[in-house]
Formats: sequence, structure tokens, C-alpha cells
Amino acid sequence: MNRAISAIVKKDMREITANRQLLLTIVVVPLVLTLVMPTIYFLTAHFAPEEVEELQQLMRLLPAEAQAVGAEALMAKLLLDNILPMFFLIIPIMAASVMAASSFVGEKEQSTLETLLYCPLTVKQLFYAKVLASFLMSMLVSWSSFLVMVLVLGLEFYVLTGGMMTLGVSWVLVMVCLSPAVSLIAITLIVRGSAKAQNVMEAQQKAAFLVLPVVFLIAGQFIGAMLINAWILAGLSLGLGVLAWVLLRMSLNKFCGEMLLAGR
Amino acid sequence: MDAVVMQHLSKIYDGGKTAVADMSLTLEQGEVFGFLGPNGAGKTTTVKVLNGMLQPSEGTCQVFGEDPGRSPEKVHAVSGVMTEHAQMYNNLTGMQNLMFYGAMFGIGEEESRKRARDLLQQLELADASGQKLSAYSTGMRQRLSIARALMHQPKILFLDEPTSGLDPESAHNVNQMILALAKDKGMTIFLCTHQLRYAQEICTRYGLIDEGRLLIAGTLEELRAGVNSGLQVRIRTDRMPDALAGRQEGRMEGRPGKQADVQVETRPGTRAGIQDITLEIGSEEEIPYIVSRIVESGGRVYHVSARQPSLEDIYFALTAEQKGTEGIRS
Repeated sequence: MNRAISAIVKKDMREITANRQLLLTIVVVPLVLTLVMPTIYFLTAHFAPEEVEELQQLMRLLPAEAQAVGAEALMAKLLLDNILPMFFLIIPIMAASVMAASSFVGEKEQSTLETLLYCPLTVKQLFYAKVLASFLMSMLVSWSSFLVMVLVLGLEFYVLTGGMMTLGVSWVLVMVCLSPAVSLIAITLIVRGSAKAQNVMEAQQKAAFLVLPVVFLIAGQFIGAMLINAWILAGLSLGLGVLAWVLLRMSLNKFCGEMLLAGR
Repeated sequence: MDAVVMQHLSKIYDGGKTAVADMSLTLEQGEVFGFLGPNGAGKTTTVKVLNGMLQPSEGTCQVFGEDPGRSPEKVHAVSGVMTEHAQMYNNLTGMQNLMFYGAMFGIGEEESRKRARDLLQQLELADASGQKLSAYSTGMRQRLSIARALMHQPKILFLDEPTSGLDPESAHNVNQMILALAKDKGMTIFLCTHQLRYAQEICTRYGLIDEGRLLIAGTLEELRAGVNSGLQVRIRTDRMPDALAGRQEGRMEGRPGKQADVQVETRPGTRAGIQDITLEIGSEEEIPYIVSRIVESGGRVYHVSARQPSLEDIYFALTAEQKGTEGIRS
């Protein structure tokens, strides 16, 4: 990697880790989504009586092969295969929004953007460095959350049921394709918005809207409007991957220093 | 090779404000060029256009043969810029900041550390190198910015008010450093300031700018010749012979707009009748003649001093002339 780009990436990451407030936001949200909520869910599934009429009604709505495994295993499967993967779309967006929103506008607020622009980097390279820093951070948060989740929930699952927790093929698609694609789309849009915004707050507020489509997808899992499966995830990965690439290209071509400084 | 070439350069902002108007100027390598004018005259805009931060509305410019509008990164590789809007990171130490910008210019870590250490030493910041920038005073930040602009050993250094906020000793130190860079390393210095006396101390050539227009450019002698502002003699006397005063007025009548240069003032606390008179003369040869005429007429001379017009005199003469011309036009 170009020395200058690598310097920006390291500097941006160090800025986030040195800021306790930002670091806390980046760490707490994944912990709540991947550990606290699933644990509550697991415990409820384990200790709640299976004969509750609402649960039976819910089970009758699901495909026949899903009903065969028993209520507790079914609830665990629903959580692992349908709900938790969606959280891994929220986590990179959240991590990216914290970091990317401050990328250009943070430099602008500190009056360091002009200094960066006086360096022998094209504005495209600068944009690339900023996107890369946010992308690496968002993937780092995403994959570490995944690792911690697998370890902790696997242990809980073993303690509660005595069996091994298994993850479906959809996880590979989510962690390797969908999560990076969503992250890249979010970062590109946020960095673009961040270059135009006048302060970090404004950039973060704009970024918050990006979570909305994912929230609808999660709601779909809860109400059963659209249950995800490997095919849907593969299609989404492909579509969003192409969208991420197109957005990145478009943004790179639109960038210029004067626009950044003027905030237009 | 010329360091900077501007040809009919103009910059008009989106709101319609003309910041730079039809500016043509050439800077040779190794000169310390003073780009002088009041706040809002267009100095910083010119620096931004020359560094590709802003696109010119009309005209062309080149820095060491590169067009900053087309390939700003090539210009940045040879130019160091210090302006009040180009700050550094508060959460990094002085040394970390310089190392970061060293990496931005592709300098290896070891070399970067060595250069940073030398510059911090030269700018008397060695003791503060481990302190975070947030603990730096305005003067220290200013000096660190100069160090940052010099990290990649540029061929041309753009400095915007480099000594504002510095105490006299630090300002003197910075001036010596600038002069040494130009003299020993052949670095071209483009110095923007509104402090004309300061500029006169270190610059070899000047460009005076007002409301985006370059009023005049050249060495001090060329500027003096250009505005027809000659040598002045200041005499403190209790009598000025009428003939001498008449001779002066007569000489000045042929030079419209220069009457203001004959100044008569009474110093408070001096004996009644003693006045300070400033006359414009052609050469120092005229001074003994003037003094002897005063003495012959019975006057006493308390003080005589000759003075060349300063940059300030030239600047005010030019702006007054400009306003006069505009007044006539309107």
C-alpha cells in the first residue's frame, strides 16, 4: 500500500481508538446486538413453557421441516439463521457511520483538511484512503463481533442444550459478501455526505438513515414477511456488491479539492 | 527555470466576488518574494490557486513548470505551504504530527524522524516535541507549521503571515531561517503579509496587491522608481527661507499628486518656531545647499536626515493614486 495512504489509515484508526466516547459506541452496540440480546433470547427459549398457544401458532406458520426439530431448537435456529445475520448488517453500518462521518468533516472541523490537501496525493487517493480506513475498521468490528458471538453463544448453547451450535451456509455469505458490500455502500455514501456536511453531527445524522432498509429486513424476519435464505442472501450480496462498486466509482469521479473545502 | 509564472490569472468566486484580477507575475528560483497587501486583498486566494486548491476562473499559472489546476499533487511535491487554515492534529504530539506529514510525502520512517528532530531543534521546539499539539501556544503551533511545510524539503515555500503570533525573538529566528533557506538551499520563498516593514527586512522582491489587483512588482529600487517616490530630507529648523520653500514647491508642481510629500509639523515641547520639514529632493547633493541657505538666512538647523521612501510610503502612494484614478473614472 502507498505509504501516504497507509499513514492516513493508521492515523484515522488511532484517532478512533484514542477517543473513548467513539470507541465505546463502536464496542457497545455490537456487544448488545450479538451477546446480550441473543443470550436473553436463548434463556427465554430454554425456560419458557413450550405449550404456550402463541408459540404453537408461530411454529405452525413455519415450513414443515423446521417444525420437526422441537420448539427450543427451532427458536435457536430462527435466531441464528434469520435474525442474527441481519444484525451483522447493522454493525458495519454503525461502525462505518461513527468513523466515516468524521473522516472529511472531522478534518474540516479541526482545520486539518487543507493541510492534507497540500500533500502530494490526488483527491481520489485521499478519498480512497478515507474509505479504506473506515472499511477496515468496520470489518474489524464486524468480524471480531462475529468471533466473540460464536464463542459465547456456542458455550451458552452447549450449557443449555448439551449440543453443539451449528451455523448455516448463510453466515458465510453474510460475513464474506453481504456485510462488506453493505459496509462499503454505507461508507461511500457517508464519506461523500461527510465531505459536504459542515459538522460531524450533521454527517452522522444523515448516516443514521442508512440503517432504515436493514431495519425493515429485520422486521421482515420477526413478522415473517420475508424470511431470508441462502438464495436471497446470495442475490442481495451480488446486487449490493455491484451497487457498492458503482457508487464508489461515481464518488471518486465527482470528488475535487475545491468542493471539499467549500463544502459543496 | 522560473519558480512561478502567472499569466492574466483571475479568480472569481461563485458569489461573484473577484478575489484575483488579471494578475501576471514571474518569480525566479531562490528569490524571497514579498506578496503584500491588506487583509482580503487576494493574497491567500492566489496561494490557493497556485497550489491547486482553487481553479482559476481565467488565465494560467505554473509552479516549477507544473500546472496546479491539472496536477496539484505534482505541485505539492515541490511546494511547502503554511497558512493559518492549514492546521495539524491536536491529539498527536509535535513529533507524531511531523512524522505523519513526512509519511504523507513518502518519506521513510527513519529519515522522517531525523528531519523532524532537526527542524524541531532549529525552531526551538525540541523540548515540546513529545507534547500533544493541544498543549502548544499559538506561537509554537505557528513554528510547528513552518517545520511541517519544510519536512519534504520543498523547492518553493508559501508562507502566509509566518511571524504573526510570534514573540520578537522567535520572529527573528524564523526570519534568519527563511533567509538561510533561500541563500544556502536556493529555496524560493513566496511570503504573504500585510506587515510591510517586516517584508522590507527579508524580501528581495515585492508585489503589492490591493483588491485582487497587482499594483506593482519589482525590487525596492524598481518600486521607488515606478512610483516616482524619491529621496526625502527631514530638517528641523526655526526658519525656512521663502525662496527655498518656493524652489521646492516649484520643483514639485511638475509632479502632480506629490505635494503631500512636503510636510511641515511642529514638535510638541520644542521652542516656539521650530518645525520639522520634510522635503522631497533629487539627490543627496541638494542637502548641503538647502542647509547653507537656511543658515545664510539666519536660521538654525537642529537636525538633518535623509530618508528613502519605505515600502509603506510606496504602498500608500500607489493606493492613493489608484483611488484617485478610480475617482476620476467614476
